[in-house]
Amino acid sequence: MNIRCFQRNFSAAFPPLVPLQLPSPMETHLWYILPDEVKNSALLNQYSELLSPCERESVSRMRGDQLKKRALLARALVRTTIARYQTNCQMNPRSLRFRKNLYGKPEVEWRNEDNFNPPPLHFNISHTSAMIACGVTVNVPIGIDIEENQRRTKNNIIAFAQRYFSPYEVKVLTAISDPEVQRQEFIKLWTLKEAYVKALGKGFSAVPFKTFTIRFRDTTMRKFHPPESSVSEESDIVVESSEDPTDPAKNWRCALLEVAGSHYGAICVEKDRIAGENAPMKLTVWKTVPFVEDVCVSGTDAVLVLGGIIEQ
Amino acid sequence: MASLAGSSISMQPRHALATSRVSGLKLVSFMNQGRSSLSYGLRLMPSRLRISCAAKPETVDKVCEIVRKQLAVPSEKPVTGDSKFAELGADSLDTVEIVMGLEEEFGITVEEDNAQNISTVLDAAELIDKLCGEKSA
Repeated sequence: MNIRCFQRNFSAAFPPLVPLQLPSPMETHLWYILPDEVKNSALLNQYSELLSPCERESVSRMRGDQLKKRALLARALVRTTIARYQTNCQMNPRSLRFRKNLYGKPEVEWRNEDNFNPPPLHFNISHTSAMIACGVTVNVPIGIDIEENQRRTKNNIIAFAQRYFSPYEVKVLTAISDPEVQRQEFIKLWTLKEAYVKALGKGFSAVPFKTFTIRFRDTTMRKFHPPESSVSEESDIVVESSEDPTDPAKNWRCALLEVAGSHYGAICVEKDRIAGENAPMKLTVWKTVPFVEDVCVSGTDAVLVLGGIIEQ
Repeated sequence: MASLAGSSISMQPRHALATSRVSGLKLVSFMNQGRSSLSYGLRLMPSRLRISCAAKPETVDKVCEIVRKQLAVPSEKPVTGDSKFAELGADSLDTVEIVMGLEEEFGITVEEDNAQNISTVLDAAELIDKLCGEKSA
């Protein structure tokens, strides 16, 4: 018997996670937890049981209960999310191992055992004090970033943009006269830039923020989608690299959302060769309390598309 | 920062000594404020030290202040040289804001490859001192 299979007798503490098909190569899945909805200390203890000793130690080093809880939920979300995508049998979230790639990007370390074909799953997480999110794709790398939509910067926005963003982006932000709108657009741009760098997975020193521009572009694609389709009609998001002549930035598809009315979320996914240049990002979003409740929120008010060609 | 003649051990800034890296020793708090505390400090000096520490106490203090302000750390929570930004709750935007605050405070430019390696207050302070040193060289 495959020892990685979830043994029935160990599952007494938890109801099993609802198993899910892997996302198809053109799909992106997004899972999020709202920490304020997770208050049950027995449940938090159960999550703690899922973590490796090393992860538990990292959690304990966080300063303060809220930060500890956030760190705990982040690891629990990653483990339970990946474990949902069963291949041969249900994966025990506790037995997943993680490592970092050469540049520090976390990835799953699948064990090389007979008869086990690891799913080509990619994931990326992001968290704020009020939300923890995990994005999942198959075959292609993914980067996500979330920020509270009320987030304020300590520094002046234009000074910050002049220091870190590209000239075009500074121009766009400077042109916004309403300070509140400017602040919102700044945060949105920040999440997109972060998501792109995280998707590339080479660390931000490999792709300094100034070396690429993210902008919105009106697309003529919208007229090809029938009115009843679930494809968003927002502007497409384009990444342009100012450094690379071959412009690999064309290979990345970006999406910008407002999630749960409280957060901006950016997702950046490498385009799948099979899916084609202009295929929309097929996105499914769940709000979850692992082992307790999963709610698919795609197409509801909880997921507002602000940019990118997305099909929910 | 004072050095013991003929030895490679240097006097540690007050904050840097409060570190868990020193094994088997209870936390030692230096009561002194001034620098003429060499002999007082030596008696309590652990045998294993981070010899590479080159950050000035005033740099560490300034970094702590900037970090504390950026992350809105409550006054009862300590922020010391050993403090990791992530453990104080900094996300990537906070970290970049902190670096920008440090650049403005110290008149330096921190390149991305240097910024990427900063994870503690001490890392930042050492980099600042190094960049300031290069600036005046």
